[in-house]
Amino acid sequence: MLLEYEAKNILKDADIPVPKGVLVDRASVLHDYPFVLKSQVPTGGRGKLGGIKVVSNQIEFEDSLTSIQSLEIKGYIPSHVLAEEVIAINKELYLSLLIDRSTASTTLVASKSGGVEVEDNSDDSFLKLPLNTTPNFDSVGQMIADWYDLPEKAFLLSDLIEKLHICFQKNDATLIEINPLVVTNKGMFIAADCKITLDESARFRHQEWSSLHQQPIDSNFVILHEDGNVATIANGAGLAMATIDAVHAAGLIPANFLDVGGGANEASVLAAFERITSVKSVKAIVINIFAGITRCDEIAKAIISAKSKIDTLPPLFIRLSGTNSDIANQMLDDARIERAHSLAECVESAKKVMA
Amino acid sequence: MTPELFQPTNVIVQGITGTHGKFHTAAMREAGTNIIAGTSPNKAGESIDGVPVYDSISSIQKDMRVDASVIFVPAAFAKHAILEAIDASVPLIICITEGIPVHDMIVIHERLETSISVLIGPNCPGLIGPEGLKLGIIPYNLTTPGSVAVVSRSGTLTYEATAGLTERGIGQRYVIGIGGDRIHGAGFVECLALFESDPTVTSIVLIGEIGGKEEIKAAEYIKTSVTKPVFGYITGLSAPENIQLGHAGAILGSHEEAAEYKSQKLSEAGIIMAKSIVELINSVS
Repeated sequence: MLLEYEAKNILKDADIPVPKGVLVDRASVLHDYPFVLKSQVPTGGRGKLGGIKVVSNQIEFEDSLTSIQSLEIKGYIPSHVLAEEVIAINKELYLSLLIDRSTASTTLVASKSGGVEVEDNSDDSFLKLPLNTTPNFDSVGQMIADWYDLPEKAFLLSDLIEKLHICFQKNDATLIEINPLVVTNKGMFIAADCKITLDESARFRHQEWSSLHQQPIDSNFVILHEDGNVATIANGAGLAMATIDAVHAAGLIPANFLDVGGGANEASVLAAFERITSVKSVKAIVINIFAGITRCDEIAKAIISAKSKIDTLPPLFIRLSGTNSDIANQMLDDARIERAHSLAECVESAKKVMA
Repeated sequence: MTPELFQPTNVIVQGITGTHGKFHTAAMREAGTNIIAGTSPNKAGESIDGVPVYDSISSIQKDMRVDASVIFVPAAFAKHAILEAIDASVPLIICITEGIPVHDMIVIHERLETSISVLIGPNCPGLIGPEGLKLGIIPYNLTTPGSVAVVSRSGTLTYEATAGLTERGIGQRYVIGIGGDRIHGAGFVECLALFESDPTVTSIVLIGEIGGKEEIKAAEYIKTSVTKPVFGYITGLSAPENIQLGHAGAILGSHEEAAEYKSQKLSEAGIIMAKSIVELINSVS
């Protein structure tokens, strides 16, 4: 998820109105008070936790800035603080675009009651409108205007939604949520807050993302429990999930999800060992490989070399099957490394070590 | 999807000159698949192990009919490659490529709706079909001919289940990996319809995972339209919320996307559900 000021820069570039704002620090001197100070954290619900404060003069600004800068919100300390003009609000609406898996489309979601309480809205207060890749924005604008009970705003909404849709596609976003979408006392729309998430798969065509808060996420290695006692190494997302399921079902605590991938080799598996041994509570490692493209002998090489290179390596419970497994198993036997015939056997043995 | 779709005579490979394309073309031919040509934008006129390389599908079609295409091109060019195959009305398109942007898949999905083409994947291992048909990267030596049909979102679990069945002496008519992305081509329901309509299939194995609601749709479909026995397993029972696990599509948003909920719905629809992949393999009869 992007920080609010980054999301608003993207909206601004798409010609969607946002409040005037500036990033501030202790050296900032503001004019034309009041301002709203907003903690920049990649999570929602900061308002209720004290992450948003209105300030009317320089003294209030300095006090509030100090408190916001040091206030942790859902585990995040703000990297920045945004100061924005105070908007004269007539209405607060909700508007978002997201990727809907079930319709395989960009879907527009609208509710006439936006703002901090939006999660309390009943499901039927949201209009969910799947859009094709070239929507008729006139009719979409009309529908949303009717849903908001603002029929006179159909033209403005058509224009806004068209810009938002272009922005959504062009930026490879998976979510743009404007909440609240404010109708000002002059009858104009303004995006008072905004959340954007981007599609990591599209990073190759967005060099500009390198400066953003949302940095590449490694979905192939995930720490599940900091206090986990069994680490796992598997190949393929499904098999890696099945492996943590088996550990969990045995009453043990899986420390991590790790998919070494289809082309796993000695170096990548060695790197995997180093990552999981960083979790100190781990007392056993379950290795579950079903090799298709992967070659078991490469995995065996990595295991043998990890055994000799990593002093603190906990006991290993290994099951290698598929391509070149006979060679690999011979290598393990020669190195006097024990192995199992099935995942179930690995997990059972690991359980005995814990007892 | 009809059984005839899975008996292609002429198969091509898009991206045949790349490392993966070249390697898997050889493996597909070894299994018995008739690869007649490949495409590569800059290497037209060359040949890969005797398979001629063309600059485009339409160039191939001037010389030969194309029944199916297997795509190995990198993610950045995959949208173009899939759309090229759709525009050329290739009946069966298999896309192995992982990491295609979701907005590209939305465009592709929309184009498929008005096309005769069927897409399997992307981010999938492809499929094994009757009589030596291998489209994709599923290791052929794991399979053995028979009458069970396997469909799965996960590649390695597909391999594991198929190898386990083979070891038990239970052969397969189809093994289809539909892929791990949020938006993809044919889903569980289309595959179930194929298996139900093919009289040579006697039982069905379905392997799902966390994320999305396709397994729920499958449960509803099985309840009303599938008469053959179905054996199922959903992985990710201990998955955390809102964290992507490997596959782009393997992310648990709402409780309907959880493995436990899906298992329960499938079980209510009369599917014999296993708690592990080993239990699944042993349950199939």
